[in-house]
Amino acid sequence: MLKPIFSKFVCILVVFTLSGCATIQFRDLFSGYAQQMEPVKLQTINGQYEQALKQVPERDISDTNYVLVLLEKGRLKHLAGDYKASKHYFSQASAYIDEQKLKAKFQVSKGIQNIGAIISNDNAITYMVPDYEQSMMHSYQALNYLYLDDHEGALIEIRKANLVQRAALKNNFDTINDAITSLQDDVELDWQSISATYPEMEDVIGKVKNGFQNAYTFYISAVLYEASGELNDAYIDYKKALEIYPDNQYLQHDVLKLASKLGMTDDLTKLEKRFGKYNNNEQKSIGQVVVMYDQGLVEERDEMVLRLPVYTSKDEMRFYSISLPVYQQSNQFDTSAQLDIDHKTLEFDQIVKVDALAAQTLKSQLPSLITRQVIRLIAKEKMRKKMSKEGGDVGNIIANLYNLSSERADTRSWLTLPQSSNILRANLTPGKHSLSLKVGGINKQINVDVKANRITLVNIIATGNHIDYKTVNL
Amino acid sequence: MKKVIVGTAIGMTVLVLTGCANKAVVSYGDATAVETTDINFGSTDLQKVATQMTDSLLLSPVVGTLTANNRPVVFVERIKNKTSEHIDTESITDSVSTKLLRSGKFRFVDMSRVEAAREQLNFQQKGGMVNPNKAIAFGKQVGAQYMLYGNLSSIVKSNKDKSDVYYKFTMRLMDLESGLVEWADETEIRKTRETAGIGW
Repeated sequence: MLKPIFSKFVCILVVFTLSGCATIQFRDLFSGYAQQMEPVKLQTINGQYEQALKQVPERDISDTNYVLVLLEKGRLKHLAGDYKASKHYFSQASAYIDEQKLKAKFQVSKGIQNIGAIISNDNAITYMVPDYEQSMMHSYQALNYLYLDDHEGALIEIRKANLVQRAALKNNFDTINDAITSLQDDVELDWQSISATYPEMEDVIGKVKNGFQNAYTFYISAVLYEASGELNDAYIDYKKALEIYPDNQYLQHDVLKLASKLGMTDDLTKLEKRFGKYNNNEQKSIGQVVVMYDQGLVEERDEMVLRLPVYTSKDEMRFYSISLPVYQQSNQFDTSAQLDIDHKTLEFDQIVKVDALAAQTLKSQLPSLITRQVIRLIAKEKMRKKMSKEGGDVGNIIANLYNLSSERADTRSWLTLPQSSNILRANLTPGKHSLSLKVGGINKQINVDVKANRITLVNIIATGNHIDYKTVNL
Repeated sequence: MKKVIVGTAIGMTVLVLTGCANKAVVSYGDATAVETTDINFGSTDLQKVATQMTDSLLLSPVVGTLTANNRPVVFVERIKNKTSEHIDTESITDSVSTKLLRSGKFRFVDMSRVEAAREQLNFQQKGGMVNPNKAIAFGKQVGAQYMLYGNLSSIVKSNKDKSDVYYKFTMRLMDLESGLVEWADETEIRKTRETAGIGW
């Protein structure tokens, strides 16, 4: 009685080991990534980065979550101020991503992974780093190079980030179209009922105009180009950032300033019509401070169960439940911060909302996610039927238990990213200054050394109640 | 049926166990052989760029007149890396300056070792170990008359089927006294990589 079941399990085991060269840990199959990362997030919020690092699960290069772990470690090392180690992790992740991109179009190992994923869940598929995470990674890597005093290296990372950004626009439109057309051939689905039950996520995405490109990366890029005297490149990137955040007053000012400096008279008249007259009141021998304020930690993907009607081959309608990842309304603090500079109080303006980028990415993945889930549902149901036929009640129960416990949404994403980033820019006289940051009742003194005719970059990071900052003269 | 399943199961497991453990092989190869491991800037590109640049510089008629009766002193500034890859551009300038030195037409001062030289002179002058009569004095070195510098830039494009990278390497020789650029040349490299149809 038990022997056929045993052989079935041998089969399942073989599939798991076959995906083999890309292994998956059983822990990943039965408990979601977001759940496993909970202690890491807690430690990070309290500013205990080194302890958080110890909690990050160890994964080797063949693991499906390998690159994700590298990203988490790189970010935590960056937060902890160990820029050399952070650079090491990010460059490993970058090499891994490059290798993934060069892989063959149809990979045998991926096919096997997909079989594994069909009888388990999406966590058995190698994690593909979405474009917004790649651009964030290159931005942090650029900061690492800056802090290690290698400006040329920083600019190279910026160019890498811009390559990702350029591909992001193209890729996303392609994948959405591909997914929709392939769906129509594969499964008959009641899309209406799906869109009725699945949350819109609009409040997470918000009013972001262009969900695939990352204004944060454009802004860092522009500041670095401006500092290295390549004003034309800087102007282009300021303009791209402004396209995404047209209401950001600092971006408006930067674009106007460079348009007038570069003598772009046509652009300048158009821009002045939109944003008002530009007065060039820049004095000689004055320094600039660019403050980038990273707030909170990015939302994690929640798991939601969807009741879905599926038509069988006999045209019967049956309800099945599938689990899907979703971004719920953000419940983290979103208190606005202010900065006192020379007895003037300035407000920050948002430059990126990582939550929104993540939700937008999930939305574009949704059609293919649901298709895979439905195929999986059918496969698992077939397996259950076969096992109950061959193994009787015991087989049925085991199959049911397995199906229930393996039905997990793919909640993987880079979780140590900030929730949002905000910018502020001001002119200051050269010399030492003390700025004071006010966030929800907390006061934090920030000491900067401003140099004449140079940009001083201040990166403030507030994960929860813990506030850190790092300054660098460009 | 059962035997078949167990048989394939064992067979596949053995396959997996052996498949993942490849044996490492070490061997020597030709240092100037064409290398096409991936599309990134590699040894072949470096050699190509360095050889073409030195050949062009040594064969240029202007440089011919410059080096007719004396050996001008040159210093290598650096190659500015404007690509989207981390490339050791010092290695390119090293190759170029070595080849130029070998030609016997130029002399070089090495700016990357100034600090080490200063330390040595300090030791000779103030260390108390060296015979003061034979110690080398400060202020006797020869200044460079020419500056060699350049840019390396790239354009990268890729889609699902193929990726293409184009490198342009520019080098210039400037007369430091007059500020005139006496020589300039550029080398282009194009590499294309098509994605394999099927692979592991």
